[in-house]
Amino acid sequence: MKKDAPGMRLSILGIVVVALFTSLFARLWYLQVMATDEFQVVAQANRVRVVPVEAPRGRILDVTGKVLVDNAISVQVTIDRTVLEKLEKDERATVLASLAEALSRASKAKTVADIETDLANQRYSPYVPVPVASDVPEDLKIWLDERAAEFPGVSAVRVAVRYYPYGSLGAHVLGYTGQINDTEFEGVADSDKPYTLNDEIGKSGLELQYESYLRGTPGTREIEVDAANEPIRDIGGDPPIPGDDVVLNLNIDVQAQAEQALKTGLTFAQRRACAGCKGGVVAEVGSTVVLDARTGAVVAMASYPTYNPADFIDGISDSEFAYLDDPANFSPQNNYAIQGQYAPGSTFKPFTAEAGLSAGILTPQTTINDSGSFAVPGCTGDSCIFRNDNGKAYGTVNLSRSLTVSSDVFFYGLGARFWREQDALGGPEAFRSLLERWGFSKDTGIDLPYEQSGRIPSPQWLTKFCQEVDCLEATWRTGDNVNMAVGQGSVLLTPLQIAGAYAAIGNGGIVWTPYMVKQILDGVTGEVIKTIEPKELSRVELLPEWRAAIVDGLQGVTTREGGTATGAFSGFNSVAYPVAAKTGTAQVGSKKAPNAVFGSFAPAGNPQYAISVLLQEAGYGGTTAAPVARRLYDVLSGSIPLTPAPLGGKFDDLTTLAPEPGDVRD
Amino acid sequence: MAAPTNFSSRNQVAPGAAGRLSRNPSAPWRHIDLLLLGCVLAVCVLGCLMVFSSTRGSDPTAFDTTLVAKQALFMGIGIVLMAMVALVDYRRYREWAPAAYGVVLLLLVMVVSGLGSESKGSQAWFQLGPFQLQPSEPAKIVVIVMLASLLEQFNQELNVQRLIMVLAVPGLPMALIMLQPDLGTALVFVAITMGMLLIGGVQGRHIAALTLLGIVGVGIVLNSGMLQEYQKCRFTSFLETESRVCIERDASYNQDQAKVAIGSGGWLGAGLGQGTQTRLGIVPEQHTDFIFTAVGEELGFVGSGTLLTLLGLMAWRIWRAAQLARDPLGTLICVGVLSLFVFQVFENVGMTMGIMPVTGIPLPFMSYGGSSTLTAFVAMGLVMNVHMRRFT
Repeated sequence: MKKDAPGMRLSILGIVVVALFTSLFARLWYLQVMATDEFQVVAQANRVRVVPVEAPRGRILDVTGKVLVDNAISVQVTIDRTVLEKLEKDERATVLASLAEALSRASKAKTVADIETDLANQRYSPYVPVPVASDVPEDLKIWLDERAAEFPGVSAVRVAVRYYPYGSLGAHVLGYTGQINDTEFEGVADSDKPYTLNDEIGKSGLELQYESYLRGTPGTREIEVDAANEPIRDIGGDPPIPGDDVVLNLNIDVQAQAEQALKTGLTFAQRRACAGCKGGVVAEVGSTVVLDARTGAVVAMASYPTYNPADFIDGISDSEFAYLDDPANFSPQNNYAIQGQYAPGSTFKPFTAEAGLSAGILTPQTTINDSGSFAVPGCTGDSCIFRNDNGKAYGTVNLSRSLTVSSDVFFYGLGARFWREQDALGGPEAFRSLLERWGFSKDTGIDLPYEQSGRIPSPQWLTKFCQEVDCLEATWRTGDNVNMAVGQGSVLLTPLQIAGAYAAIGNGGIVWTPYMVKQILDGVTGEVIKTIEPKELSRVELLPEWRAAIVDGLQGVTTREGGTATGAFSGFNSVAYPVAAKTGTAQVGSKKAPNAVFGSFAPAGNPQYAISVLLQEAGYGGTTAAPVARRLYDVLSGSIPLTPAPLGGKFDDLTTLAPEPGDVRD
Repeated sequence: MAAPTNFSSRNQVAPGAAGRLSRNPSAPWRHIDLLLLGCVLAVCVLGCLMVFSSTRGSDPTAFDTTLVAKQALFMGIGIVLMAMVALVDYRRYREWAPAAYGVVLLLLVMVVSGLGSESKGSQAWFQLGPFQLQPSEPAKIVVIVMLASLLEQFNQELNVQRLIMVLAVPGLPMALIMLQPDLGTALVFVAITMGMLLIGGVQGRHIAALTLLGIVGVGIVLNSGMLQEYQKCRFTSFLETESRVCIERDASYNQDQAKVAIGSGGWLGAGLGQGTQTRLGIVPEQHTDFIFTAVGEELGFVGSGTLLTLLGLMAWRIWRAAQLARDPLGTLICVGVLSLFVFQVFENVGMTMGIMPVTGIPLPFMSYGGSSTLTAFVAMGLVMNVHMRRFT
C-alpha cells in the first residue's frame, strides 16, 4: 500500500461528507421552498379548531309591530368537558354529585347519571360546554358563581332562548323550535347558514316555514389547540349575524279575541244540550280564521285545543310531547284551521248556486216550491227522498231566500240536474270543476306547513278512491250530486278554504292565496328586505247580478226573518256593518253531534274581512258557530272596542257571546 | 498543502517549557481553530434559542426556562470540558484509553443489567438526581481514541487478524448497546468504525465484505425480536411502505409532523417563538431529537440553511484538522470525530426531513440533553487538540 493512500482516502471521505450535506440541502429546498404551501395548510389545520357560535334567531312581530316571539335570556348550567376530564376520578365524582344536589335543591332535579348522559352527548363539539340544566333560577347562578373553585368546569351562563310575550296566543301559527334531528339535519345540508347537531331549528308553524329567514348566520370561534387537542386560546373568528325578523299580517289583539271567542263558543256548546242532534256534543275542537277579504292576508287564525310553545324551550319531555300529539287529547298541536278537513254543510250552498248560475240551470229569479223534501227523479224507495233538516217546508223560494233560510231542497235539485243533464252541462266532472274554481280541493298555498287540501268528490274521484279503499258503493249516483250540493257526502274543506271562498264571493270572485307574512326585516338594520304581495289563487267570473243575489241571501241570514243567524246577530248594527254569512250544520256520522260551520264576510257591499268558524261535533251552526263570528264582527266593526291582547295570553274569563241564540236549524 | 501528512514521523520533540510558551511561534494556543470554535459557539446559541422555543409552553406568552437553563448549564460545562480536553496533548490519551474503555464497558453492562432506567423502550440511562447519564455517549469518544491508537499501531497494515482485533473495539460496546436496545446509537459506532477503517488502511475487499455484513446485520436486527415493535416501525416509516401494524401505531406521525413543521417554515419561517407546530408541541421530542424541526418552522430555509452551513463548516474544519494533523493518531482521531459528527447530523436532520429512518440520535450542539452535549464538546475538544498541536 502506498504511503499517500491515506491522503486519497481522506479525500474520498471528504467527498462523502460533501455528498451527504448536499442531499440535506436538496431535501431542505424541496420541503421549505417547493412544497411549503402544502405543509402550511397542514400546520394550520393542526392547530386551529373552528367552533360555531350560535346566532340569535329573528323575531316574529304582528302587523302593528308587537313582538310575538322574542329572544330572552335564560340561565343555563354548562360543563366544560375539557376541564372536567383533567380532574382526578374521585374529584370529578365529587363535583358531579355536588352539582346534582345543587340542581335538585333549585328544583331542577338531576341525578349524577343524568349529567353523565348529558356529558356523553356526541352532538356537542368537545370545545363547547355541554348544557346540563336550563332555565335555572338566578339564585343558583349566584351560588355557583361564588363557588367556582369547588365546581371546576361548571358555569352558569346566560343564553338566548325563545320567549313568547303572549304566552300560548297564536301558538299554532307561530310554531316552536327544537333541537335539530337527523332528518332535518340532512335537509339543511346545503343551507348557507350552516347547522351543527345541537342547533335549534323551526319545528312547526312560522318557525318552520320561515326557518331560512329566522335563523341567524352562525359565527365562528377559532381556537388554537396543542398536540393533545387542549385549547390554548381564542385566535379569532367571525361574529354571528342575527336572523331576520318576520312581520305578520296577523293582529295579535284580534287573534286574542278570536281565541277567546272560540274557547267560549266551544264551552257554551258543551253546556247546551243539542236538541235533535244524533249524538252528544263534544265541542273540544274548533278553529276560526279571519282573512282580509281584499288580499287574503291572515288577520287571525285560532285553533283549539292549544298548547304553550314555551313548553318546547330547552326540549320538551317525551310524555309532554306524547300528550300534545295524542288524538285522545284532540291533538293540541294540530292547527285545525288548515289541517282539519270538514264537510262544509250548508256553507257550501253559495258555491253550488254559483255553479248553477254559470252552468245556466239557475237564474237569480228562479223559484221553486220547497215542500220540505226532494225525490230523485226516476228513483223509488226511501233512499231516494232527500229532506230538509227536520223536514221543514219553506214554500216558494228563490236563490236569495233559499240561502237565507237554508233550503236544502232548492240545492238538491241543482245537484241532481248536474248529474242527470251532464251531457248538456259539460260531462260528469263539470260540477266538480265549477266548484274547484273557488280554491277547493287543492292547497291554498298559505305560508304555513302541513296544510291539507280538502276534497271535491266526483265520479272520477270515486272510482280512484274505491281502488285504494274498500267502499260500500263504487258507482257515482244522482244522490251523490244531491249530497254534494249541500256540502255533505264526501265534500271536505278546511276552515281556511271556507274563509277564502267567502272572501271571494265578497270581493267579486278573486280567491286570494292566504298569507301570514307581510314583510321580512333585516335582523341587523331593521330594513325591509322583502315584502310579500297578495297573490291570486284562482278567479271566478262572478257576474254582478249573480253576486248581488247571493250576497242578498247571505245578508238575509244575519238580518232577515227566517235567517239562520239572526239569533246570533240580534242587536248587531247590521245597517252600519252588514254581515253576509251562511251557517252550516254538517252531519259527521249517525251517532255524532254535527259540526257547526260558519262562513261570512263583511261589510257585505265592500267586504274588508272574511271569517270562518268551525266547531267540531258542537251542534247547529247558527246556534254555536255563528256567535263566535258575531263576537269578532262586534270587535272588527268597532261596536266593542278592540282591547290589547293580554300579555302572557291569560284571559280573565270567557268572553260574552251575547246574545246567546236559541237552537237554529239549517 | 502547507503541512502534508506524515505518517512515518513518530518521534516528536517535546513541547517547549511553559515559560517559553509566549515566545514560541509553534505554541499550541496560537493555533486554535477559531473558525471551528466560532461555529460551535454559534450553533450552541441557536440550540439554546430553539430549546427555549420548544419548551417554553404552549401559550403564546408562556416563558418556561427550566429546560433551556439546564441546557445552558450543560453547554457551560461542555465548554470547560472542551478546553480541558484540548489542553492535554492528545498523545497522552493513548495511554489513558484502555482504562477509560474498561470503565465505559462496565457502565454499559451496569445500565443494561437493571441499574439503568428505562425510557421510550430502551434501557440506556442512569438517573443521577436531576440528571441522566447515558453511558453510550462517552463510549463514542472512548471508542474513537481506542480505535485511533490501535490503527496507528498497525500502521496501515491490516490483515484479517488485525482487522478482527480492530473490530472488537467498537464491537463490544455496540453489542451492549443493542441489548438496551438502541439501534441508532449502535449505527453511530458503525459509522465511526467504517470512517476510521477507511483512513486506517483497511483493504478494499474487506470494506466491501464489512458493508455486506453490516447490511445483513441490520436486516437480522430488524427481523429479530431485539427491537421493540414501535422502534422497528419508526425505523422503517420513512420508506413510506409501512406495514399494517405500523399504520395502526401511527408510527409515521412523528416524521409526518416533523416534515409539516419544516415545510411550513418556507423561506423565512414563522419567526422565533412563532412556530405553532413547535409551540403547541405537535412534533414530539422537539427539544431533543427533533430540534431541527423547530429551526425549520421558525427560521425557515434561511435559518435552517444557515445551521446546515455552520454544521458543514464544522465538518470541513474537522476534515481539515485530520488532514493537517502532525501524526496518524491525530488524523485518525479527527476522522473518528468527523464520522461521528457527520453521521449524527445526516441521520438526525435526514430523519426530521423524512429521508432517513427515525432513530434516537441527537443533533450535536442543538438537541437538549446533558450526555450528548458534553460528548459533542469533548469530541470537538479532541479535534481542537489535534489542530492546535499540528506543529508541535
